[in-house]
Amino acid sequence: MTVSSVSRKRVTFRINLAYFILIPASLIALLPFAWMVLSSFKTLKEIRQIPPTFVPQEFTLDNYVKVLDDPDLPLGIFYRNSAIIAVANVIQVLFTSSLFGYIFAKFEFKGKKALFWFLLSLMMIPHQMTMIPGYLILAKLGLINNLLGLIIPAAIDAFGIFLFRQFALSIPNELLDAARVDGAGEFYIYRRIVLPQLGPALATFGMLTFMFNWNAYLWPLIVLTEKNVRTLPIILTWFSNQQVDKTNLTMAASVLVILPVLFVFLLVQKWIVEGITLSGLKG
Amino acid sequence: MTVSIQNNLLRRFFRGRNSAEKQFLAGAISPLVLYMTFWTIFPLLWGIALAFFDYSPRQTGGFLGFGEGNPFVGLQHFESMLNFTADAPLEVQQFHIGIRVTLLFAVLVVPLNLLVTLPLAFLIESINDKVKGIFRTLFFLPVLAPSVGVAIMWGFIFHPQRGLLNAIIGEFTGKLVGVAWLRDSSLTVWGIPVALFAIVVAYLWQDMGYNLVIFIAALQGIPQSIKDAARIDGANWWQMFARIIVPLLMPTILLAAVLTMISAFQVFDIVQVMTDGGPDDQTQVLLLNIYSYAFRYQKMGWAAAVSIVMFLLVFSISFVQTRLLRTEWEY
Repeated sequence: MTVSSVSRKRVTFRINLAYFILIPASLIALLPFAWMVLSSFKTLKEIRQIPPTFVPQEFTLDNYVKVLDDPDLPLGIFYRNSAIIAVANVIQVLFTSSLFGYIFAKFEFKGKKALFWFLLSLMMIPHQMTMIPGYLILAKLGLINNLLGLIIPAAIDAFGIFLFRQFALSIPNELLDAARVDGAGEFYIYRRIVLPQLGPALATFGMLTFMFNWNAYLWPLIVLTEKNVRTLPIILTWFSNQQVDKTNLTMAASVLVILPVLFVFLLVQKWIVEGITLSGLKG
Repeated sequence: MTVSIQNNLLRRFFRGRNSAEKQFLAGAISPLVLYMTFWTIFPLLWGIALAFFDYSPRQTGGFLGFGEGNPFVGLQHFESMLNFTADAPLEVQQFHIGIRVTLLFAVLVVPLNLLVTLPLAFLIESINDKVKGIFRTLFFLPVLAPSVGVAIMWGFIFHPQRGLLNAIIGEFTGKLVGVAWLRDSSLTVWGIPVALFAIVVAYLWQDMGYNLVIFIAALQGIPQSIKDAARIDGANWWQMFARIIVPLLMPTILLAAVLTMISAFQVFDIVQVMTDGGPDDQTQVLLLNIYSYAFRYQKMGWAAAVSIVMFLLVFSISFVQTRLLRTEWEY
C-alpha cells in the first residue's frame, strides 16, 4: 500500500464523518424555520391541540387570508416604511462612505489624521450611548414618529468610511492625476473614476447596510411609536402581542414578514458574507 | 464676517493645492465636521451631562431642559450604584440585576459560540467544494432573518402547551410535558435561570453565522502546504484541529471572541420579545434596563448614567481581552 492511498482513505473517512455531523446539524438549524412555516398552515383548533402536531393534519391557507385581510395590519404600509428607511440609508451611507473614504485615502489636508482617528474612535462607542440624547434631539426637531428621524441621523457610518478608505488606497494615483491633467473637476473624478473602481465594496457594504436597517428594532421602536409609521419588525411584535392566543396567525404574519426578504438576502448572500468577513478580519 | 474668517482658515488648511481641489475638500469636509458635531459630539456630551442630572422629559428646565424641574445631582447616580444593601432603591437593585444577567449571558454565549462555530467551520471547510456553499448558507440563514422574527419563532418553540420542545421531550419520555421554559422563575440549572438558557439558545442560533463565515474565510487563508505537511506526518483529525488550525487561527479567534462579547453585551431584541426581562427579572439585561428606565419610566438621567457604566464595562472588557490574548500568541 502506498502512502498516497493511505492518506486518501483517511481523507474519505474524514469527509464522511463531516457529513455525518453536518447533515443532522443543518437539519437542527432549519428546524425553527420549519416549525414556523408548518404552524402557519394549521387551523386554530390544531394549534391549540396538546400535545402539538409537527406536520399539519389539516392543511389550511386561512391564516394567510386572515392576516392579509386584517384592516388593523396593513402590511403594505409597513413594507413601504421599512423599504423607505432602508433604501434611503443605503444610498446616503454609500455616498458619504465612498466620498470620505476616497478623501481620506487620496488627499492631504491639515487635521486629516486627527479627524480620521476621531472617526475610528466613534466605531468604539456603542449606539446606546447616544440613544437617549438622540431621542431628545429628534423630539426637539419634531422628528419623532417621522421616518426622517431614522434617516437624517444615520448619514455617516464610521465603519463605512474606514472600509472604503482601505479600498480607495489601491486606486492608482496616475489614474486620478491623468484625469486632472485632462481638466476633470474633482467631483467628476470621484463620480466617474473613483466610484466605478469601488464597485464591489459598494455592493458589499450596501447589502450589509440594507440588512441592518431592514432588521433594526430598538431605535425604530423608540422613534416610531405611532402605528402607521412603524417598520416591519415593530409591527410584528405588536401583532404577536395582539394575537397572543392565535399563534397560527402570528406564525403566518411572521412568514410574510421574514421569508420574502430572506429569499432576496439569500440571492445576494455572497456580498453580505463578504461584508461580514471584511468587518471580522479588519482587526 | 464669520464666513470670511472661515474662508481664511480653510485657505490656510489647504495651502499648496489648486483651487479646485481646495474647494472640493472644503465642500466635503466642512459639512462632515458640522454634521458630526451636531449628530455625534453634541449627543455624546449631552448624554454624559444627563447622567449628572435627575432628568426626565416630563419635567421642564432651563437650557436643554437642565435645572429647575431637572436638578443637578452630581455624582449621586453613580454613588447610589454602589449601594449593595437590601434597602437600596429599586432602580439600583435592578441595575445590579442587569449587570449580573448581562455578564452571565456574555459568559455563556462567547464560549458556546466558539465551541460550535470553530469545529463547524472546520468541518464545512473539509468537505467537497460543491456542497460547501450549501452548508454555509444553511447555517448562515438565521443571520439574515430579523431578530424579532427569530425571537417569535423561538418563543413558540418554548411555549409550555403548544411548543415544539415540550412535544419532543414528551415524545421521548412518553409523558405529557408542560414546562414553562420562559415563564417559570423556579427553574434553574447550576443557579442559572432556565429562561436565560432559552434566550442563549435562540441568540446562539441566530448569531452563529457571523463567526462561522469569519472562521471559514480564515481557514481558507491557511496555506495548503501546512495542511499537507501535517497530513503527511500522519496527523489525525483532532491533531490537525487542535495543534494546527486553532493555533494558526488564534488572532481571528480572539477577534471573534471580542466581537461576540461586545454584541452579547448589547443584546436587546431577542430578550425584549421573548421574555421582556422576566420571569422575576431573571433575564433583565442591561440594555433592556436602560430602555425601560429611559423610555418607559422616563428617568433619563438615571438611564444615561447606566449607559455610561455599560459603555465602560464593554470597553474595558474588550480592552483586557485583547491585551491578554495578544501576549499569548507572541511566542
